[in-house]
Amino acid sequence: MTSPKHTRYICANCGYIYDPAAGDPMNSISSGTSFETLPEEWVCPMCYASQDQFDVYDEE
Amino acid sequence: MKPSIASLYQAVELQQEIPPLLIGERANATGSKKFRELLLADDYQACLKIALEQEAKGAHVIDLCTAYAGRNETVDMTTMVGLCAGALKAPLMIDSTTPEVIEACLRLYPGRAIVNSINLEDGGVNIRRICKAAKKYGAAVVALTIDEKGMALTAADKLRIARNIHAIAVDECGLRTSDLLFDSLTFTVGSGDATLRDAAMQTLEGIRRIKAELPGCLAVLGVSNISFGLQPQARRLLNSVFLHEAVAAGLDAAIIDAAKIVPLASIAQEDREMCLDLLYNRQVVDGKEPLMRFIDHFSGKAGEAADQGPQEPTGTPEEQLFAKVLSGDKDDLDDLLAMLRERIKPVAIINQILVPAMRHVGELFGKGEILLPFVLQSAEVMKAAVTLLEPFMDRAEGDNRATSILLATVQGDVHDIGKNLVDIILSNNGYVVHNIGIKVPAETVIEKAKEYQVDMIGLSGLLVKSAIVMQESLPQYKEAGLDIPILLGGAALTPKFVAESCAPGYSGPVVYCADAFAGLKAVREHEEGRLQSTTYDPLTAVKPMKPGVRHLTVDRSNPVPLPPFIGQRYVEEIDPALFLPLINTQALFRGRWGYRRGKMGAEAYRELVLGTVQPIYQELLHRSVADGWLQARVSYGYFSCHAEENSVIVRADGQEYPFFFPRQSEPPHLCIADYFKSAGEGGDIAGFFIVTIGARIGEETTRLYRDNAYHDYLMLHGFSVEATDALAEYWHGVMREELGIAGDQSKDPVGAITQEYQGSRYGFGYPACPDLGAHRPLFDFLKPEAIGISLTENMQMVPEQTTSAIVAHHPQAKYFAV
Repeated sequence: MTSPKHTRYICANCGYIYDPAAGDPMNSISSGTSFETLPEEWVCPMCYASQDQFDVYDEE
Repeated sequence: MKPSIASLYQAVELQQEIPPLLIGERANATGSKKFRELLLADDYQACLKIALEQEAKGAHVIDLCTAYAGRNETVDMTTMVGLCAGALKAPLMIDSTTPEVIEACLRLYPGRAIVNSINLEDGGVNIRRICKAAKKYGAAVVALTIDEKGMALTAADKLRIARNIHAIAVDECGLRTSDLLFDSLTFTVGSGDATLRDAAMQTLEGIRRIKAELPGCLAVLGVSNISFGLQPQARRLLNSVFLHEAVAAGLDAAIIDAAKIVPLASIAQEDREMCLDLLYNRQVVDGKEPLMRFIDHFSGKAGEAADQGPQEPTGTPEEQLFAKVLSGDKDDLDDLLAMLRERIKPVAIINQILVPAMRHVGELFGKGEILLPFVLQSAEVMKAAVTLLEPFMDRAEGDNRATSILLATVQGDVHDIGKNLVDIILSNNGYVVHNIGIKVPAETVIEKAKEYQVDMIGLSGLLVKSAIVMQESLPQYKEAGLDIPILLGGAALTPKFVAESCAPGYSGPVVYCADAFAGLKAVREHEEGRLQSTTYDPLTAVKPMKPGVRHLTVDRSNPVPLPPFIGQRYVEEIDPALFLPLINTQALFRGRWGYRRGKMGAEAYRELVLGTVQPIYQELLHRSVADGWLQARVSYGYFSCHAEENSVIVRADGQEYPFFFPRQSEPPHLCIADYFKSAGEGGDIAGFFIVTIGARIGEETTRLYRDNAYHDYLMLHGFSVEATDALAEYWHGVMREELGIAGDQSKDPVGAITQEYQGSRYGFGYPACPDLGAHRPLFDFLKPEAIGISLTENMQMVPEQTTSAIVAHHPQAKYFAV
């Protein structure tokens, strides 16, 4: 089990994967930011879907 | 003209768009105990009902056979043909071997029937008489590959006899080759008989050879013979797998119980392999015979057919019906409903069991406990149940003043999946839906709303333009004197837009609906008298963040690549194997199909994907190629151009075509034109493409919707959208190769999602260049009409599964939104 802090999320609309280890530096989200603590207005950087379009994504 | 048969009411093509033509086998005194007992009791009406039930379950043609020792076949058959001719929409198959009976039936039948059957068993006597009757009355004929020596076992014998029959039927009696349906005969592979071990292969090969050697003829099979002697659950699976193989070999028509076909996608991979091993007599090293392995494999599984195979029914009939809606299980629905009808009126079955069950399904969906595809399967059960109940309802009962809704996709918009999903959910929750189609002008909506006296109107549209159309038309609805609630749905709408820009223009409630269930909720609120316009509170609202870096300088020193040619070219017959692997399965499974993980655990979700979603996907990949659904074609080219502020001026055919692109109003103020060099910088090269997977897949999608196959409709539509995008992604890759900027581009679809390559493709109508008007100049120089693509008056491309883009080679070119 990965801790929630490291859980990756996938955009159901386009398949983009948000990885807390990488963050989203293009949108001023620093590495280490968990999905849960992303600012409310953060949207998918590829297709602009809102956060409720994301699913938990873990391969293990 | 395509070979067809007909009843009094309709013509049916022998070669269905999606083969096979299904011929119902239950109205047969030899094959069905139930039918035989009814016939022996002289209960012709009940016999007719068996024929009608098969039609309801999807049979295209009904086989009718009354031959039974001790009965007068002529009387039985002519009586039944008379009854069926008036009651059945499906054409009849006259199943008899007696020429007198066949002649009497053909004389009586008011359509174009199929005669089942002729053969050469008696050396050629009856065949001539029957073929002459068929010629006289214009019937098609099933021909069995049997001669004086008996039933043909090998492909070579099957072909030889087929040729002999063809010589008599066509050359001598004047039938057309397309009037003949050859039956290559099915023998069981379940008996253990050593001479029949390759029987399935011989039959499949027989189909292939007969169709190749006698072009124009058709192939038919009695499919379920393949599994005689095996246990019932295993039979259903084996029959279904064999049917699939036979269709792949060229089978046009199957005599089969349509209700008992298991979709290939819902057969577990392991079970399917076991069936294929038996059919193709595949030996495993050091293993048992395929038949023994097959029996062992299924003996432990008595009772569970496919994944959600029928379990022993439990509970009262009411509970069973409720459970069937919940689990999306249509099996034996007619028996269950017949049982319930003895005690409960049809309208009460609907209102007290079916509607509450669908409501429960909706609630589970709302809580994220079930997924959209399963909701659609439940709706299919609901639809099937209502269809089965309708004949037993008084007209007055059906019309109990349920809330009625008019649905339309707005003017200029051809997208109908969203509207149709709303239709499916509402109509299967007991509401009356008038779905008046796509591209509907406001005037027509108003006229129809008044004509049908509907209680609500639902407007749908995918395009950004459609949101504007909705906004601008609302005052028109108001002026027309309407004040019934109007529900708005579509990808480009937001609650803010509906609340601030739409609602003020209309006198009644204007409600934003994010999906079909929001529509259902709105209808319920309306019934309860508490539906209100969508409101928007700017203080609590989340402001979407414009993605993109804040500061960016577009480099001007990048080299301009040398294109392989200047101008336009077509590419056709692109092998689907090249682009299908680029399908974005994450977007397909989760986004288009709605197989979200939701509240599921990782393990449960993986099981869902492997056990349910992947088989559907693999089946669609297979069928789309095998059945020729994909006709991938491209028009593309490279053109000299230069940027002028926010425009790219493209030179083509000696003319200049300006393409205007919007610029971001916030930092970093990007515009697509920035990625191209100005005239002063020496000009540049722009790529353009229009790709299509053709119209065929759209026709299949429409057909599924029309046939109330809601689940498959959603699956195929989503697949077609993502397949088109995969083709665009593939072609973009080809163009990067041609421009020499491919580098070591990742073949990984995820790499494609995150654009881990040089350059970018910007689709017209998408965030960075939303203006569909650019299609006009694009069509002038890419001339895609030659590959079957046209433009509607609203600049949308037809067929629907077509997409276009401008290709920028600049290393910094990435997606952004304006």
